[in-house]
Order: sequence, then C-alpha cells, then structure tokens
Amino acid sequence: MQQVGEAKLSLLATKIRERKPPTLSMAPMIDCVFLLLIFFMVSTTFSPIPGLRVQLPPPGKPSPDKPKGLTVRIANPEPGEDRGTMVLNDAVVQVDEMFNQFINAPDEATNMLIIQSEREVLHEQIVQVMDIAKQAGIDKIGFAIVARD
Amino acid sequence: MALNLAKRRKREDEDDIPMAPMIDCVFLLLIFFMVSAVMKVPPPFTVTLPDSATKHEFTRKKFNLFINSDGRISIDDQEMLTLEDMELFIAAHENQITTLIIKADKRAKHGDVIDVVERAKMRSSKTEGLEIAFAVSEED
Repeated sequence: MQQVGEAKLSLLATKIRERKPPTLSMAPMIDCVFLLLIFFMVSTTFSPIPGLRVQLPPPGKPSPDKPKGLTVRIANPEPGEDRGTMVLNDAVVQVDEMFNQFINAPDEATNMLIIQSEREVLHEQIVQVMDIAKQAGIDKIGFAIVARD
Repeated sequence: MALNLAKRRKREDEDDIPMAPMIDCVFLLLIFFMVSAVMKVPPPFTVTLPDSATKHEFTRKKFNLFINSDGRISIDDQEMLTLEDMELFIAAHENQITTLIIKADKRAKHGDVIDVVERAKMRSSKTEGLEIAFAVSEED
C-alpha cells in the first residue's frame, strides 16, 4: 500500500518536473548587475590631476661642477608672515618682477632654475615660483639640498 | 474566441524585448568600469592644494602622497608615521608607481616636502629616476 503510494508520488513528481523545466531566474541577477554598473559609473573619475612636474637629477652623487642656470634663494618667512624674501642672482626680487627677470635672463641661463629654499618656506610660495618659471619657458626646475651623511 | 486570445498571447510573447544582447552589453560596460575605476581615497587629514596658472595633466593613479601643513605624511589613506615607513612603502610598491604625485598642502613647509622628494628619489632603483609632480588645485 505504502509502496504503491510512493510510486504514485514519484510519478507525479516526474510529471511536474517534465512540465516545468527548471529555469534560471534572470531578473534579480540583472538588477544586481545594473546596480553594480551604476555604482562603478558614478564612482569612476576620468579627470586627470593637474600638477607641476619636478625635474630631478638622476639618483647618485651630485656632479661636482657648478650647474648653469638661474638660482633663486628663498629665506624663511618672518614670524607672522606668509612669504620669505627671494633673492635672484644676489638681488632681492619681488614676485611680480620675477617673470620679467626670467624672460630677460641670458639664454644659457634659462635652461634650468634651481630653487634654494629654507625649510620653513611654505609650499605655496615654491609652487608660485615654479609656476612663474614655467610661464617664462623654463622647463627644468631643480631643488638644491644640503648633502647629509 | 479562445483561439484568438491564444494567438494574441503568442504574438505578445514574440514581441518581447530581447534581453540577452542587452545583458551582454551591460556586462561589458560593467567589466569596463570595474577595471578602469580608480577610487578616490581621501587622506586622514585635509589638504588644500596650492594654485598655479600653468599645469600639466597627470592621469589619476593609485598611491598619491599627501603632506599636510603639520608635516604629516600619508600615502592614500595610510598614514606614514616616519620617513622610513614611507621609504619602505614606496620601495614595496615600486613597480606600481611610475609618477609619484605629491599633494602637499599650500601651507606645508618646504623642508617636509623636500625630505619626501629626496627619500622617494633615493629609493627608486630606476636609472632615470622616479618622476615626481606637485599637484595643484583643480580650479582655475
């Protein structure tokens, strides 16, 4: 009696299976994929970062001969002030005069600018000097450092 | 009547938008965006970039170096407590860093910035040296 019942049940089960083949439900997966797509689309940033390239000499010992080029020296700003005094070739120079000084400098000097700056000078001032130099067509900008053992 | 209804239903089924090509496209787009996505990782402190009229454009990459006005250094969201830590980090990820973009606060001290530049340069074993850039503000 029980066996017969089981057989009937299994027959019924196969019938149901035949009638409805199992299908993968696509809709929830597509929902997820769309969600992910929208997330990545929104969070992706393609905009480049604006910046100034710093040209550095190759690593190793610095060359012993004096580099040709303009040298700007920047002193630590006085307490309470934002900018330090700038000296270009032994003469104090103001920010607004700097561009003309760079433009009028002899050709052999304008291939490189060396910035000798004290430690407390604000980064903003350095970037400003670099900006003026780039505007004046000086592409190579280097930083003078003190050799440490 | 019943036959008519069945026919109509059948035609409706056939008029369904084909989903498969759309899903293919969506997957393709998804993979493209996943691969090209570079997440913006904010540093653990605020950094105000300096302004500059001339700017060169660099592609957004992982591993940006941040320096704030107190001389704190972080690479992406990982704060570097000492310069040695930073040096080791750069050495460990050397293959992934072609251009080191230094995002220094405008009130950061030049000494701190130059220390970082010097360390990074020393660490790089590439003959031509590591390309280093100072990031500037995006507004004109």
